Amino acid sequence: MTRNLRILLGAASAIAIAGAAAAQEDVTITVWSIDGDDRPGPSDTFSAEFSEMDNGITVDYRVVPFDEIVNETLRAYATGNAPDIVSLDNPDFALFSSRGAFLDITDMVAESDVIDQDAYFEGPLNSVMWDGRLYGVGKYTDTIGLFYNADMLEEAGIEPPQTWAEFEEAARALADPEAGVYGATLSARGNEEGTFQFLPVIQMSGGSYENVNTEGAREWLTMVKGMIDDGIMSQDVLSLGQWDSTGTFNNGNAAMAISGPWEIDRMVEDAEFDWGVTLLPTFEEGAERSSALGGFNLGIMSTTEHPEEAFEVLEYFVSQDDRLFPEFGYLPTRGDVELPESGVPLKDAALTLFQEQLQYAQPRGPHPDWQQISKAIYDAEQAALTGQMTPDEALSQAQSTIDGILN
Amino acid sequence: MRRILSSLTDGKGFDLLLVGITLIFLILLAGLPLVYNVLLSFQEVDMFNLAAFSRPWAGLDNYREIVSQPEFGLVMRNTGIFVFGSIAGQFAFGFALAIFFMAKFPFASTIRGLFLVSWVMPGLVVGAIWGWILAGDFGVLNAVLQGLGIIDETMFWKSDPALSIWAVTMANIWLGLAFNMMLLSVGLAAIPRDLYEAAELDGANGFQRFTTITVPMMRSTIGAVLALGLIYTLQQFDLFPAITEGGPANSSNVAQYWAWQWSFRIFDFAKGATVSVMMLAFVLIASAVYVWSTRAEVRG
Repeated sequence: MTRNLRILLGAASAIAIAGAAAAQEDVTITVWSIDGDDRPGPSDTFSAEFSEMDNGITVDYRVVPFDEIVNETLRAYATGNAPDIVSLDNPDFALFSSRGAFLDITDMVAESDVIDQDAYFEGPLNSVMWDGRLYGVGKYTDTIGLFYNADMLEEAGIEPPQTWAEFEEAARALADPEAGVYGATLSARGNEEGTFQFLPVIQMSGGSYENVNTEGAREWLTMVKGMIDDGIMSQDVLSLGQWDSTGTFNNGNAAMAISGPWEIDRMVEDAEFDWGVTLLPTFEEGAERSSALGGFNLGIMSTTEHPEEAFEVLEYFVSQDDRLFPEFGYLPTRGDVELPESGVPLKDAALTLFQEQLQYAQPRGPHPDWQQISKAIYDAEQAALTGQMTPDEALSQAQSTIDGILN
Repeated sequence: MRRILSSLTDGKGFDLLLVGITLIFLILLAGLPLVYNVLLSFQEVDMFNLAAFSRPWAGLDNYREIVSQPEFGLVMRNTGIFVFGSIAGQFAFGFALAIFFMAKFPFASTIRGLFLVSWVMPGLVVGAIWGWILAGDFGVLNAVLQGLGIIDETMFWKSDPALSIWAVTMANIWLGLAFNMMLLSVGLAAIPRDLYEAAELDGANGFQRFTTITVPMMRSTIGAVLALGLIYTLQQFDLFPAITEGGPANSSNVAQYWAWQWSFRIFDFAKGATVSVMMLAFVLIASAVYVWSTRAEVRG
């Protein structure tokens, strides 16, 4: 008995020592991203895969919620506990790259066999550049379009709307308060999501983030306010994020929804009706188009102790770009990735549409103070939609705030 | 030397030692951060000079800019509604429940204990649950109110600027109810029963007994509960991100959430500090009331 016990103990301590030795050899790379919070995403999946490979690098992955990731990273950076790799929403990237918080990877990329700078689309590439140097790579990109419930439209004999006037007309025709069906839904939430959906409206009416008080933007706010007041759109568009807002569309409680390609997989599962996507409406037929450029970037923090190993992790992530769409419904940020047909007709049709929409997608910023500019924009949208201010008052207030930041 | 040692183990030295440890603890963990916060409010701070010690001096600029923000008045008004609404609600319901549970009925103390569940739960969890209850189109509260025939139209608790601050206040009343009830129960239990018996013999009715015995005997407890309520309400933060995010259009934004937005949304740490320094004034008043109302409690 005691002999057995001694052997067991000996074996256990041998294992413990071996384990400690193996742990010492492994370099740990910490990766922070929002992926894996409400559904599996590329960064959490690829991190786990890379970590399981026998290559001396362990990846310690942490999910940070969307609302927290900039804060957490800033705080961690200021206190010297920054992760090695972090994935940020593209307009937030410049805050870090402009201050040298991201590692300049221009030369590493030039020597890399995996990452080819020239393959990237212009919008996503611009968001990781600062002063002509490269500070990261695009992880995936997305944009927004108009989803519609094809069954409802067909029943009412309405074509998918191409202008905002048609959009309002269709929404008013399709809304059925008795049955709890709204005409349309979108997200005018008081955070980046609000700006993400509202800025394209400003841009397609001739404005930009530097010049927000356009006639089109005022008209649009008046239109949406009218729809909320008349119960054509739920007042909850002011507090719902895009994911929750589109959830009401999937349940058949809204006839149209403004959202992006990240919705497709869930919609294929959940929506028990025929649906389609069309380009974001414009002000006049054939008028200027615009859409939001979304998506996340990956960067290595300049405080990392293992830049080579971190870059290896980054290379692995980039090498898996061809899985982004089939597995996660995200669009790659580069043009040299073949997107296979999924065999689901609705999904493939939506993909084609969103790829067309991407041509009109315009980046937010890049500007180091993007958060302040964005706040001015979503504050104005909320103030106008709640009736606190007229659209003109709200947008001129935003304009003067933005002028103060830009100058 | 020996005298010092012996006074340390038994005597004035021991008292001083205890006070000293507490003081050092307070100065390190509460005093210094407080001073640092006040200092921040007079400087220009962003994320990248946050770790540095010398920063550009801003004087009173931060204060001027905060006061001239268009939402300043709205945030102050909301803070007032939230603080006074919460305290009034928590105190009134808490007092009523405390008196109710003083009555002898089976399982009275067990049920009273169950009320503590609300107080034990983390604010974010409470916020998430209330977020579902208060949701507009598919919320529990709306379903109940509509089922009872009290309202016809959907109430957008979280998205209607006229309702949003009340929605968060409602959740906070629920959250703080148990704490108020427990403290007040303790106060009630300390009142000698024979006072009530004597009053009853003299023909005092229930209302008279309440106003002439319960309330005067509870004065210091009530003062403490109200002062603590003010402090807890001013530091209540979790409910805001979980329920309304201060929106829509700042209609449910309060000073403590606004300070956080300045610091961690816009990354203007000086403005965030400025708002918290302004709040400090209110908390100091509350602390003074608390100290004053508990002055009779323990004398060593």
